[in-house]
Amino acid sequence: MRRAFLAGALVGLTGCAGEPLGYFDTAGPIASSIANLGIGLTAISVAVCVVVALLLAAAIWRRRGAGDAGIQPVNDRQPIRWILAGVALSTVFLVASAVWTLATVQATLPPAHPGLTVDVAGQEWWWAVKYESSDPSRQFTTANQLVIPVGVPVQVNLTSKDVIHSFWIPKLGGKMDMIPSRTNVTWIEADRAGHYRGQCSEFCGLQHANMAFDVLALSPADFQTWWDRQLQPASAPADDPGLTTFMARCAVCHTVRGTDAGGILGPDLSHFGSRSTIAAGLMPNTPANLSNWIDNTQTIKPGAKMPELHMLAGEVADVTAYLEGLH
Amino acid sequence: MSLGRVILLAAIVALVVAAAVGWLLTSGRPSQARVHLSYPEGVAAVVPLGISAGGAPPINVSVANPLDNDAPATAEGKKLFGQFNCVGCHGYQAKGGMGPDLTDREWRYGGTPIEIYKSIYEGRPKGMPAWGNAVPPYSLWELVAYIQSLGGSFAPLPGAPADKSAPPPGGGIPAGQDQ
Amino acid sequence: MGTVRLLAFTVLTGCLSSVAQAANPAHSSYSEATADFSGAGQPGEWTSQARDYANTRYSPLDQITADNVARLKIAWTFADGTDYGHEGAPLVVGDTMYLVTPFPDTAYALDLSQPSPSVKWKFDPNPSQEAIGKACCDPVIRGWAYSDGKLIYNLLDDHTVAVDAATGKEAWRTKMDSVARGVTMTQSAFAADGKVFVGNSGGELGVNGWLAALDVATGKELWRAHAVGPDTDVHIGADFKPFYSWMVGKDLGVKTWPANMWHTGAGASWGFVSYDAKTKTIYDGTSNPGPRVPAQRPGDNLWTSTMFARDPETGMAKWAYQFTPHDEWDYDGVNEAVLLDMPIDGTVRQTLVHFDRNTYAYTIDRTTGEVLSAKPFAYLNWSTGFDTKTGRPVVNPAMEPKPGVTLDRVCPPDIGQKDWEPPAFDPHTGLLYVGVFNICMKLTDHEVSYIAGTPYDGMEMTRSSVDGPDGNWGGFIAWDPAHGKKIWEIPEKFMVMSGTIATAGDVVFYGTTDGWFRAVDAWSGKILWSQKLGSGIVGQPITYLGPDNRQYVAIEAGVGGAAMVQKGRPGFPQRGNTLYVFSIDGESVQPVANAPPAQEKP
Repeated sequence: MRRAFLAGALVGLTGCAGEPLGYFDTAGPIASSIANLGIGLTAISVAVCVVVALLLAAAIWRRRGAGDAGIQPVNDRQPIRWILAGVALSTVFLVASAVWTLATVQATLPPAHPGLTVDVAGQEWWWAVKYESSDPSRQFTTANQLVIPVGVPVQVNLTSKDVIHSFWIPKLGGKMDMIPSRTNVTWIEADRAGHYRGQCSEFCGLQHANMAFDVLALSPADFQTWWDRQLQPASAPADDPGLTTFMARCAVCHTVRGTDAGGILGPDLSHFGSRSTIAAGLMPNTPANLSNWIDNTQTIKPGAKMPELHMLAGEVADVTAYLEGLH
Repeated sequence: MSLGRVILLAAIVALVVAAAVGWLLTSGRPSQARVHLSYPEGVAAVVPLGISAGGAPPINVSVANPLDNDAPATAEGKKLFGQFNCVGCHGYQAKGGMGPDLTDREWRYGGTPIEIYKSIYEGRPKGMPAWGNAVPPYSLWELVAYIQSLGGSFAPLPGAPADKSAPPPGGGIPAGQDQ
Repeated sequence: MGTVRLLAFTVLTGCLSSVAQAANPAHSSYSEATADFSGAGQPGEWTSQARDYANTRYSPLDQITADNVARLKIAWTFADGTDYGHEGAPLVVGDTMYLVTPFPDTAYALDLSQPSPSVKWKFDPNPSQEAIGKACCDPVIRGWAYSDGKLIYNLLDDHTVAVDAATGKEAWRTKMDSVARGVTMTQSAFAADGKVFVGNSGGELGVNGWLAALDVATGKELWRAHAVGPDTDVHIGADFKPFYSWMVGKDLGVKTWPANMWHTGAGASWGFVSYDAKTKTIYDGTSNPGPRVPAQRPGDNLWTSTMFARDPETGMAKWAYQFTPHDEWDYDGVNEAVLLDMPIDGTVRQTLVHFDRNTYAYTIDRTTGEVLSAKPFAYLNWSTGFDTKTGRPVVNPAMEPKPGVTLDRVCPPDIGQKDWEPPAFDPHTGLLYVGVFNICMKLTDHEVSYIAGTPYDGMEMTRSSVDGPDGNWGGFIAWDPAHGKKIWEIPEKFMVMSGTIATAGDVVFYGTTDGWFRAVDAWSGKILWSQKLGSGIVGQPITYLGPDNRQYVAIEAGVGGAAMVQKGRPGFPQRGNTLYVFSIDGESVQPVANAPPAQEKP
């Protein structure tokens, strides 16, 4: 109750009720323990501040009594008692905070047996996501989305292909840097199904602010169904005009499993139609947005590595239809 | 008021002023950064794209690479040279293999910047793929800049002969491309 | 008196027997291996690349021996005007010699009955030059076949063509694959059992590898077996019995790859095919997996780097053995299988001997796929040994590449210590003779995109000698396949990438990539004769009887192919395109009146 009250107060104060990046409204055990610690330490700090401020105010406004001029030896114990009381109280609260902090760190250590391992590689300004499995034929790559099963600890191996990025899903866990030529390990767990949002949290260039990703937590059964679906190859006929245009224009940089498109410079677009956002969480995945993105990439996300190819309107329409059809 | 109170009051006022200024600075300003990565004006107009070697109107080989001697463009061109699999045919040092050596002075289809650009854009009969549909002009010039940095290419030839012809009608550039 | 006579008699006998010993120094066969030489034409002909179905490359001719081979001189030459690597062996059928040039794959029929052979006909198939830029290792052709009165061979642009041997007119042409996807055909067509077996190339371009059978008369495709994909594509059915458990399972050509990556998994069949007529089995190996960078394709990557035993009628696989599971260094499994029977541990086994790119020499039971022996035939450091229980090589973890990390010395390099250059078998010595390399690579892997028609590669390499900057790059060895032992070795400054032939005169011929053509004593390894030719040698020699019943030895000199990795070394030769034909004293076809007496055919 107290936690909810404090959370509500803070949320109210910051005006971010319902925000996807609101990290006090958590959905997983790691994020909860961190949020609890955060609120707890804030509460303790605020309390201490209030007490000290009151004492300071009292000390400043208390009038000196007449006859107080001149320093006199003081013999009573009153000031010492104040000091000792303050030290004792501070020690208690500091030790409690330290213990709480350590306990939270302990709770956020990667589990010995993750139920799932995912490799995420950050690059300017999108996320390559690879699902690991002991069965090689179940390994596959996707981009800009992380789909996880509810209640299962997920180990995330992080690296970067260019500069330092940072992986953060506020509602599910803390931040972890993604450093080139290095693999950092973090883990997340969702305890209820839902749609969450991740964000790059280390300044990485022009579009750092627009480097986000979708997180979807599904029930374990739904998650398996999703995974099986991801392994299916695309199945448009060879003369589909969207596929033909895609092969001519996009395949050098993008992959769609089941076709000859095998580029790894840009995000893997297999099953693109089932994703919720485009361009690393920048806008909802709708045909209009997709056409706009293809046509006006540099206006929407200036500096993005995807070029504007000045495709004809018909080409854009065909490719949009093709990609949206990849479910 | 005593000195202590004055100081406290000043500190509170300063804090409030600082917070207000901070809020004003960061609220609601649209991003100023709008980087144009398209190629400079006028370049495409003189490249009669879509014509292959042999039996074709001569091209204007005096066209320079707009990214000539641009170090970041050359570095990016080297990266693209790897990422587009050019290294697989032309070698990691561009000294050849399945495809020709790009560091020597022998150019089957011409070694001025614009001729190299066209070879990459259009592809060539002995197996060089055509990249023009998928790679934008800026990136093509970055690749040319990298190849120029290898030392084997030729400088643009000044005042090419009898070739003031405009690009042929419908030649190469798809209708609707306005740059 | 009697004692003296006895003594004299003993001494005389001793002298005579030692003289007899000296005159016949032949030891017994090292391996006691025997071969079925069927599938060859007449003793004086050379009707297929490997001379016979078992791929022995052994000729029964014995006019040329260790005693007279030093008198070999050029009898005649023929230049074909092309510049790429000359890798195939000329064929001699009757009085005609058949040659095919590297791209543009022109075929020549030479009339050997003329003193300087004249061109009977020339056939220009006009393959598409787009294929030139898709051939990883020079636009070569590695051989051609003769069957049913037709010269049959693959064109670089993915057609198989049959030419009427008498007239030089095209009999049929079949399109087998598409250059746009990076597929070429450099493989030597192999004819047996009324069919011709052809395979594709493109292991470096992420193709989908296959071996097909065409009807010799019509060129119609009878079956096509892929190296990757589901069992139906790979022609694996109920009769498939691999010897080792890790190759047992359904659709392993899909399951041992990440999702969908088998489509670009390669496993091209660009090597020589062998045939056991008694058991009706063909043997054929598959190339490395695609992409060449292993980090992008975890899993065993079946059925790449694998030897298949198949039924020639249907293509259905009988067994398979993967030499290098999850290959990380481009160790193709395409090298030839020489079919030999030999005693192993007291029992005569029907085996095949295969010198793999991974530098293990395998002796495998060719009826079951069981590995009887796997021993290194040259220097390697990618593996710490071979586990006979599991049938898998033990990988050295320090030699496993990761993208972006440079490994300074991985041995052998991608081309192995033996590439496609085929060995020869001498039934007298029981040994196999083969050209080898002595090299390593500095390797850095890079992640790669698949862009159809471009390399799906990612291996950045510099090759060097095992023995440092001044070390040798090659050698020629004699190998005992029953005991897995090298008997002798001739070190060579340059790679030895030519085929080898053995003859009944116990003379073995090979050529170096810097142009030395050598004759070697099959027993001792002593070089009996050498001649430097106009270009480096990457082709396969043959020996035949001319219309004058004289034994000739022929070899093409035209360096190219993977030998070009030595291009920067001082002494490396220029490109060339000349066929050299040698005979004792350089004698050639005479007018009829002067013909030597007919050679008794062994």
